[in-house]
Amino acid sequence: MERRSLLKLGVGAAALLALAGGGVALFQPGLAAGRLTDSGKRVFEAVARAVLDGSLPRAASEQRAALSAQLKRLDDVILAFPAAVQAELSQLLAILSNGAGRRLLAGLSTDWPDASVAEIQAAFDDMRLSGLAARQQAYHALRDLTNAAFYADASAWRLMGYPGPRPI
Amino acid sequence: MTSTTASTIPDPIRSGLQRGWRVRGGAHGPLPARITCDVAIIGSGAGAGITAELLTHAGLQVVLVEEGPLKSSSDFRQLESEAYPSLYQESAGRKTADKAITILQGRCVGGSTTVNWTSSFRTPPTTLEHWQQHFGLTDYTEAALAPWFAQAEQRLNIGPWLTPANRNNEVLRAGARRLGISAAGIQRNVKGCWNLGSCGMGCPTNAKQSMLVTTIPTALDRGATLLVETRADAFVVGHGQVQALVCTPVAGNGAPVHGAAPTRIVARHFVVAGGAINSPALLMRSGVPDPHRLLGKRTFLHPVVISAATFDERVEAWSGAPQTLYSDHFLHSQPIDGPMGYKLEAPPMHPVIVSTTLTGHGQAQADLLKQFPQTQGLLALLRDGFHADSPGGTVQLRDDGSPVLDYPLNDYVMDGARRAFLSMAEIQFAAGARQVSPVHEMARQYTSWAQAREAIQALPMKPLLTRVVSAHVMGGCAMAGHERQGVVRPDGVHWQLANLSVHDGSLFPTSIGANPQLSVYGVANRLATGLAMSLTGRDVQLVA
Ligand SMILES: Cc1cc2nc3c(=O)[nH]c(=O)nc-3n(C[C@H](O)[C@H](O)[C@H](O)COP(=O)(O)OP(=O)(O)OC[C@H]3O[C@@H](n4cnc5c(N)ncnc54)[C@H](O)[C@@H]3O)c2cc1C
Repeated sequence: MERRSLLKLGVGAAALLALAGGGVALFQPGLAAGRLTDSGKRVFEAVARAVLDGSLPRAASEQRAALSAQLKRLDDVILAFPAAVQAELSQLLAILSNGAGRRLLAGLSTDWPDASVAEIQAAFDDMRLSGLAARQQAYHALRDLTNAAFYADASAWRLMGYPGPRPI
Repeated sequence: MTSTTASTIPDPIRSGLQRGWRVRGGAHGPLPARITCDVAIIGSGAGAGITAELLTHAGLQVVLVEEGPLKSSSDFRQLESEAYPSLYQESAGRKTADKAITILQGRCVGGSTTVNWTSSFRTPPTTLEHWQQHFGLTDYTEAALAPWFAQAEQRLNIGPWLTPANRNNEVLRAGARRLGISAAGIQRNVKGCWNLGSCGMGCPTNAKQSMLVTTIPTALDRGATLLVETRADAFVVGHGQVQALVCTPVAGNGAPVHGAAPTRIVARHFVVAGGAINSPALLMRSGVPDPHRLLGKRTFLHPVVISAATFDERVEAWSGAPQTLYSDHFLHSQPIDGPMGYKLEAPPMHPVIVSTTLTGHGQAQADLLKQFPQTQGLLALLRDGFHADSPGGTVQLRDDGSPVLDYPLNDYVMDGARRAFLSMAEIQFAAGARQVSPVHEMARQYTSWAQAREAIQALPMKPLLTRVVSAHVMGGCAMAGHERQGVVRPDGVHWQLANLSVHDGSLFPTSIGANPQLSVYGVANRLATGLAMSLTGRDVQLVA
């Protein structure tokens, strides 16, 4: 079941998993009961630093607070997805939190928490223009979920000049 | 239900519940283990709503089964963060199998009509002619359908929109005029519209004449039963008939409610109206006969590509009635079965939709989104299903029985997408855009039409590079005049099972080539009137 839905991520992802050498057992799931696990959070926090670069506060402590708010919102976004979507996301995060998987799928040599924004962004640019559907799909999933969680919140609207709903 | 603002706007759902509507499921109380009725309708969207109103008018005991929640104006706070998870299929993140197309569909009482943008078009005559010629739908003529559309228009207050278009739409008219391309006004189904622009998050003023505030309340007032947060899992088929429908209580994310018992509905007749993708999936899960292997095939999307433009002045594309002007120029400039034609419209834009649909990340994205107030958007609805190279997609079942649509974006579709990018950029520049950016991973912001034209011609038009979305799912249970070509007959009744009908967008044998809601309303009106007659001998009408 785990393996079958992983295949739907694309033939590429299955090949990567085989190359990464592990089989599912070596991987930490990205979600548990629909919520981000610690390893899932590590990936998404780094993704947020890169995708939201230019929109996050620059001061370190403020940025930390913004990132933890982001992870909390992301948890809510993910919880609302149906089980099949959660399972795919969990596996994607599992591959990405594993060193070999991260290198193969994201092309990122540094581990997520240590990678610089520039390194992650360069990896993302390779992913989105990759000839391998699995890498493109992974990029879209990470980037779109990050944006969905971030820009749903009123605190992000002022960055877009969006005044919010008209009162009725 | 959560209480929200101290609004003075009357809430027709809350007052209906107080009047004693029969609603069960979720917070409305547990489902009975067994229900017997005349007709069970699956879904509560466009096709289901019209059908429920007509069948209850004929005196039939009707049960509606809806997997989404019952929300209403007091719950609609114009917030994407609340609307997408509670009102849309898969939290508005439903995707095709290869993840190249994002699909918006409703999942709440009222279905997609609760969240749609109110654009109302009759089925184009050229589409009907194609159905007559290629699918044996000989009585689907413009003249034969006209009265059914007219009644739906009257019932749902469909008429010209007399308020000036917002600037987002005005760009389409201005650019088209400069280029000598025709553009015209779109009819809308609203009554006392506040011009808020948040139709996609549920109408907080009940102006939109969706099924939620029209036919469903009428049916409930006439004694229909509504089961919410309840999924129709499968029909029990035997002796050439549907014997029963098995339903499961589901949680907000669609997961079965832990420990809750299923409900069995026994009815004389069953009407499937779960919308394209979900309707064929229900029939597939049920193992209904499909001798010609047509079920779930030829599912169409009007694949949409988008062009974003930046203007010097503010556009505020979030504000005001969403789609009020259109151009069919590029539908009419080629034969219907030639290169893919497209309809142009200007969609509403809000932070989540925009930030997930436009491309990029990091500083580039931050800079782009800073321009949101000056950003204008055009979309092209590609008319799929009329050419041999446009067979649409196929519904498949995942291991857990949930549906996923496989829709390959082939070269034929992508050729249409490229031409659409070109047309939209030309119109936007003609209207005075400072920069135009087709929504494609490799596109940049182009500063002149000449530059954009050259760049768009060179863009690799591939899935996952080109952003493609859809809010118009059609087909998968096609009707046809011959058994070999259709899942259901021209009267909506299943070719193999006499007490099963389909009344929703999955009926269409091709895409519509126009926003589909009125096509669903008109066709469901005709089919449900016929069904009421065959079940009761009574002649009922949507409007007196
Ligand atoms: C954001 C958006 C904007 C749109 N804008 C326009 C527009 O401006 N003009 C226009 O013409 N069209 C528009 N549309 C499309 C239009 O609303 C749909 O084409 C139309 O509502 C389809 O009707 P339907 O009866 O096929 O299905 P729907 O209206 O989608 O209803 C199907 C219902 O069935 C329920 N259901 C499905 N399966 C099951 C099951 N197994 N058990 C129980 N319940 C089930 C679903 O939850 C849903 O509520 C828009 C759609 C969206 C999503």
